[in-house]
This record gives sequence, structure tokens and C-alpha cells, in this order.
Amino acid sequence: MQMQTLHLVSTSTVASSSSSLPTIVSLDCCRCQASNQLPFPNTNLGFLKVKRQPKVSNLKASFWDSIRSGFGKNNTIQVIDTPSSEEEEAEEPLPEEFVLVEKTQPDGTVEQIIFSSGGDVDVYDLQDLCDKVGWPRRPLSKLAAALKNSYIVATLHSRKFSSGEEGNGEKKLIGMARATSDHAFNATIWDVLVDPSYQGQGLGKVLIEKLIRTLLQRDIGNISLFADSKVVEFYRNLGFEPDPEGIKGMFWYPMY
Amino acid sequence: MAVAAAVNGGYLPSKFRRFTQPTVSQIRPTPPPLFISTNPNDINPIHLRDLYSVCNHSCHRFPKLNSEGRVEPVDIDKLRKALLHSYVVASVFTRPEFVPDLTPENISGSGLTGIGGDWIGKVVPVTPGNGELVGFGRAVSDSGLTAAIYDVMVIPSLRRRGIGRKIVQRILRILVNRDIYDIAALCSDQQKPFFGACGFGDDVLVSTTMMYTRSASTHSVDEQMVKCAGRKLLLVPSLRGNLKI
Repeated sequence: MQMQTLHLVSTSTVASSSSSLPTIVSLDCCRCQASNQLPFPNTNLGFLKVKRQPKVSNLKASFWDSIRSGFGKNNTIQVIDTPSSEEEEAEEPLPEEFVLVEKTQPDGTVEQIIFSSGGDVDVYDLQDLCDKVGWPRRPLSKLAAALKNSYIVATLHSRKFSSGEEGNGEKKLIGMARATSDHAFNATIWDVLVDPSYQGQGLGKVLIEKLIRTLLQRDIGNISLFADSKVVEFYRNLGFEPDPEGIKGMFWYPMY
Repeated sequence: MAVAAAVNGGYLPSKFRRFTQPTVSQIRPTPPPLFISTNPNDINPIHLRDLYSVCNHSCHRFPKLNSEGRVEPVDIDKLRKALLHSYVVASVFTRPEFVPDLTPENISGSGLTGIGGDWIGKVVPVTPGNGELVGFGRAVSDSGLTAAIYDVMVIPSLRRRGIGRKIVQRILRILVNRDIYDIAALCSDQQKPFFGACGFGDDVLVSTTMMYTRSASTHSVDEQMVKCAGRKLLLVPSLRGNLKI
């Protein structure tokens, strides 16, 4: 029989808790008991913050966590296997933004093309851009979720202003590329697009190369993508190989 | 031949295949009692790393092989990070007595053998606490549109019994429940029949799978940064501003 002692410590610095009990509660739970009696049947368990356990015993804590996580809205239970989540934040790709190209028209207006990896994309702008390149429409909520949960979203905006008015000028989305990843080994590049009126200038190349650079700098070595037949050459020139060593991508076809 | 098959994780080069005859018991026997968990907390990263080694599976697409054809053990910190950021993980446990290769001292038996022998073993439910990790699979997603399945594996002694298919089907079920239908799986030539049997198709909108493989050997440029990924030294593109204006 395995006994596990969970120490539930409430701290006053837990900002997201909706209620907090000022006492320290010690809980003994036997993992082999399928007990229906929970020690706190009526209280809001939003305050709970489990003390960091040594890594092996984390597994046993999950039994109660999975039950308790059903109670309380702002649940701050953390059973952490990784060394620390603070290191995790520091390793996320830092958002960058810089002016890629700046050209001045004969009439004095300046156009800047700005690269950004902050992922700050208006979903409606993106849908307009997808329409321009001729892609089928996708549900906006799914698009927004996909952008939010992609590892990197790289964008190109164009900003036009008359000379002397650096601050003003409308930003227009003209290109995007995003990559999903497990942050450690694999990454897949999806949704690469550049506004047709800006194509042919090497902007797509910049987007992809920046993505690859960021991914490799994070030691993510498996970079893959699924290319339309028309753009296979484009990616080949960037260093991608089709079906390397027989590796193929297969897609799921629901049979209904 | 059988030893060679075991060392290579069950996959022999094609010229040897005609010499190994599948035994009758290897053709679709029923799987042992299993517990499939999709809770990431049920996974012990060290056991998982050992599972990767037993299955000779590397997280790098182009792994470095040693003289026996085995891959290097997976980096445990990177594995932890990958698990943390995988949208779905599925791990399969079974009781140690059902794992054919385990030596007796490894099995922590319950000691309960009554009348009828080991019927207790079949009746007591498997849990991650009392089970051996024998299979695994995970999927990475953007939670909205797409997902990709990676690292599906089952220990060699329990293959060809439907466990791998169960793993994939469980992952698929979770993804579909969360409204994600664009599900990809990168697989080698040997894995294609397996994924085909799980409902994956080869031809998809006629797109080509491509991977970044530009390395220092294929593209000679001086003053370039390279990154090691398995046995490939991938070239990191430099920041350059030669855009045609």
C-alpha cells in the first residue's frame, strides 16, 4: 500500500485564488483506496498550491489532483515535473520587430516593411489576406486559437507614411508564417502566405529563414512542412528536401 | 535471426525479412490487460526514456546510430519539455507479468496466487502505479486547426497485438472531440502500413512533405552557424538583407 502525504499550503501571494484558508492542512491519502469521501466537501478549493515534491512522488499526487481539479474555478494546483517553469518562460522565442525594407517613393511617401515575431495578428486582417491569396475560409475562432497556440507567428506589415511623419501611417498585414512545435524536438511550419502584390521580392524567403533560424537556435532540429505542388521549388531553394530518407506525411481521413 | 530481429527492434533490412517466419502466436493475438492513460502526470520521464531506448526510437528524424545500430538515449530535459508542450499524450501500461521479456526479479508480484493460478492478475485493474510502461504516443497541436502525431511506440515483445492502434485511436478520439480534424503523422517507410491501417492516407491534397536538411556538407558557405540534430549538422540561415527591391 502506498501512502502519500500532500501538504497543502496557502499563500497570501496567490493572486488568482478566489478564497484562501489561512491554515496549513496536511492530507494523508492512500492511493489504493477508492475513497468517495473527500476531506473538503463544501469548500471552494481555489487556493490550493501544492508544495513542490521531489520528482518521483509527483506521480502519486495526481490521483487527488485529478479529483480536486473538478472543484474550484481558479485552481492553482501545480504538480510540476519539469525543473522549473520560470526557465520555461525565458526560453520562449523573444518577440522581435524590426524594419526589413524601407523605400521612398518619388512623391515623398515612405513605405516600410516591418518584420515581427510577436504574433500580434488581427484575425480579420489575416482572413482578408487569405482571401487575397485564394485560400478557403476557415472559422475565425479556430484561426484565433491556432495563432495563439503556435510556437512562433512571424508577420510582415507594410506601413506607409509621408516623409516627416514617422509616427503615423497605417499598418497593413502583407505576410505571415507560423510554426507549431513541442518546444523540444519537432516543429511544423503551416500557413505561409504573402500578399500577391508584394510577392516576388524575397519576402517569403525572409519569413521562412527567420522561422528556421529561431527554431534551430532553440535546438529544435526536426523542421517539417507540407508543401503544395506549386511551391515545392520555393522550399527546395530554402534548404528543404522532399520525402527525405523516405519520411512521408500521412493525414487522417475520417471514414464517414 | 531472431536475436538480430530483437536487437533491431523488430525491423530488419528487407533482405533478411524472408528468413524470419512469423510464429502463429504473433499473428493477431489478443493484447494483455491494458491501461491507457492520457494524463501527463502518469508518465515517469525516466521510464519513458527507457521505453524510447528499448524501442530504438529517437526523437531526431535523422538519428546518430552507434555500431550496433542503436540510437542515443533521449535527452531527459528535452523530453520533459516536449511532454509539457504536447497537446495529447497517451501512455499504455500493463501488469509486469504480461511483459514477456521481464526477468523474474524485475516483477514485483502481488504474491496472490490462489485457486486457478494467476486469475487475480487478470482481474486486478492495471494502474500506472502498478503497471509497466509498454507503449506511448503523443500529438502536438495548435489547439485550433492542425495536429501532428509523433513518437508512437510499443515495446518489441508486445507488438502486433493491436496496442499501437489503440494508442493512435485514443489520440484521434481526443483530437476529434476538440474539433481538430487536420491531423498529420510523419512516418518512415516502415511505419506507413501501420498508419495506413489506422485510417491515415498517403495522398493529401497532393501536398509534398518536406524537411529542412540543408547542412554544411551540401551547402558550402563560410562563416555559417550549424546546429546538430541527430546526425545532421543543419545550417542556420544568416540574417541578410539582400532583398530585391
